[in-house]
Amino acid sequence: MGNATLDKVNQRGLDIPPVPNLGRSARVVGPVANVDMNQSPHPKNQRGELGKALFNWYRNTISKDPLTRVSAPNHFADRRHFLTTVINQASKGKVNSKQVPVTDPAAMTRHIKAVARYMGADVVAIARAHPSFMYAGNRYVQDGTAEDAYQQSTPEELVRKFPYIIVTTTAWDHDKLQAHRHHVGDAAYHVSQMKGVMILKALEGYVKELGYTALRGVANPQAAGLAAGVGELGRNGLIINEKFGARIHMPDPIMTDLPLVPDQPVDIGVEDFCKICRKCAVNCPTNSIPFGDKVVFNGVEKYKINWLTCYKLRPYTHDHWMSCLTCATVCPFTKPNVWWRSLTVWALRTCPIPARPALVHALKAIDDRFWGVVSQKRVRWLGYDSGIKPGEHACTVAGCTAAHEANSGKVAGDIGYYAPLKENTNRFVKRDV
Amino acid sequence: MTLRLGPLKIPWPKTRSQHDPSTRLRAGDPYWDFFINTPPEDLANSVTELIRSAPEGNVFPTKADIHTPEITSNHVKELARYLGTDLVGIARLDSKDEQYPFAVICAVRADYDPREAPGIGGQVPVQNGLFVTFVLSAWIRELGFRATAAPDPNAERLAAAAGLGTLNPNGRLVTPKYGTRVHVTNVIRTDLPLRADG
Repeated sequence: MGNATLDKVNQRGLDIPPVPNLGRSARVVGPVANVDMNQSPHPKNQRGELGKALFNWYRNTISKDPLTRVSAPNHFADRRHFLTTVINQASKGKVNSKQVPVTDPAAMTRHIKAVARYMGADVVAIARAHPSFMYAGNRYVQDGTAEDAYQQSTPEELVRKFPYIIVTTTAWDHDKLQAHRHHVGDAAYHVSQMKGVMILKALEGYVKELGYTALRGVANPQAAGLAAGVGELGRNGLIINEKFGARIHMPDPIMTDLPLVPDQPVDIGVEDFCKICRKCAVNCPTNSIPFGDKVVFNGVEKYKINWLTCYKLRPYTHDHWMSCLTCATVCPFTKPNVWWRSLTVWALRTCPIPARPALVHALKAIDDRFWGVVSQKRVRWLGYDSGIKPGEHACTVAGCTAAHEANSGKVAGDIGYYAPLKENTNRFVKRDV
Repeated sequence: MTLRLGPLKIPWPKTRSQHDPSTRLRAGDPYWDFFINTPPEDLANSVTELIRSAPEGNVFPTKADIHTPEITSNHVKELARYLGTDLVGIARLDSKDEQYPFAVICAVRADYDPREAPGIGGQVPVQNGLFVTFVLSAWIRELGFRATAAPDPNAERLAAAAGLGTLNPNGRLVTPKYGTRVHVTNVIRTDLPLRADG
């Protein structure tokens, strides 16, 4: 392929900065070891290293909820009903030998972004790859395989050869998310996740059809997302986006040698907001989110959540819901993507940094006033009703005025959002401290 | 003519204006034609092929408690819309097909006719349609009822019967909102008790 374009790419690839720029919310301050995904929560649990309760929850339970059984990455009755399995286990397509020449990387960047959006992605950005973003060891794709010819390459070699990471993702529905800790919120989360997996697979195929390599399961999506300016890293350990807040997925991005123009990290005021707000930490049912300052973990200065206590909640809520999503929902940035939201984020980002704490205090007060310190919203959708209070059951037929006996409801999942309550959780979640 | 007030653009951008093909082509994207019209060299690069060839799963052994046919129909349609279809309707199938009394038909907006645009971009409506029919039919099977999603030569006629629009003399579906710019997806045949539209 030794054409001029590729030479240019390689030249650009040579100047790898020693420290990647991740924006204000996460700073690289020391040596970063590449993350081995075999040591991440799900693979650990699949090997049974997190104990029997979690292992059985993950492997040996079937969800009571039909929609969960088709959309969530475990608790199936029949794995063939889960689209992500179908997509992740598919064989890999070949790179087209007739390469489409790229003379203007900026035009190609606009094109790739337009393509991702045309396929239904909500967010798309390009990151400049950095060796510290790469996974250690094998490729990692949940429930699937991602083999390629570059398995033996070192992170530096990979970055030189494939200098760009396409980070594209979907956001989940705001209104249904209000019924998080309920099957309605689970559906909002899991359906958009499946859609995101499909879009990424289609985009990967398209990059290969353009005649360029597309690697999957290579790069840490959060690091790439920060470098690409998808958002900033919040106290809750989630990427917080300008338009959708914390309600975006961070699926496996595409690493490629397609000539592109990378984006830069953004400043939307998350850094200043998280210093003050702590709404996610207050609401977290397992106290997994820190109230304190950032810490340095694996050479990165950031807020570090306790993933183990977060993860351990799951078997206890299995009968009622799958995904907690509390930290994503209560985040003041998680709002519908409408004009007053754009206005607020614009105010935050244009405000000089020393003046931001005052603005954040004001915005936090407004958020608590209008959205509640602890949110209580009732959502009725598809025969589900999230209920009003824990234990309260309500009819699922819109407009129904008939009297209903207590406990006569046929619909499972009437537990309400904030049960088990935070204090109750203390009884069964052991804290590491 | 757009007025800019800080982050606000007046008038507000239309929700799907970026999907309008004419705007896109005017923007001078040199690769857009390749995206829409060049068929993939390797079919494994196409998600549509992948989902089409996926095997169908089992029906859940226990039937779920369901509501009246009217309410169940609304739930099916609500879920289909949530999964991303633009139009959805339910038709009653001929009585000789006892196994599957109902058909759920979805139609997604298609800027380019997928029959004439074989590129990965031209097939995006098919991809979106397959996403809807795959998940929706799997969900009905998980409810404990039979459902099978398959391409149907009479899909457009069924879509018209389900009230999505009318047929023009060429046999193409014309919908009130999108005209002929729709792609009728796979037809889901099911024995879930529903109420037919149209």
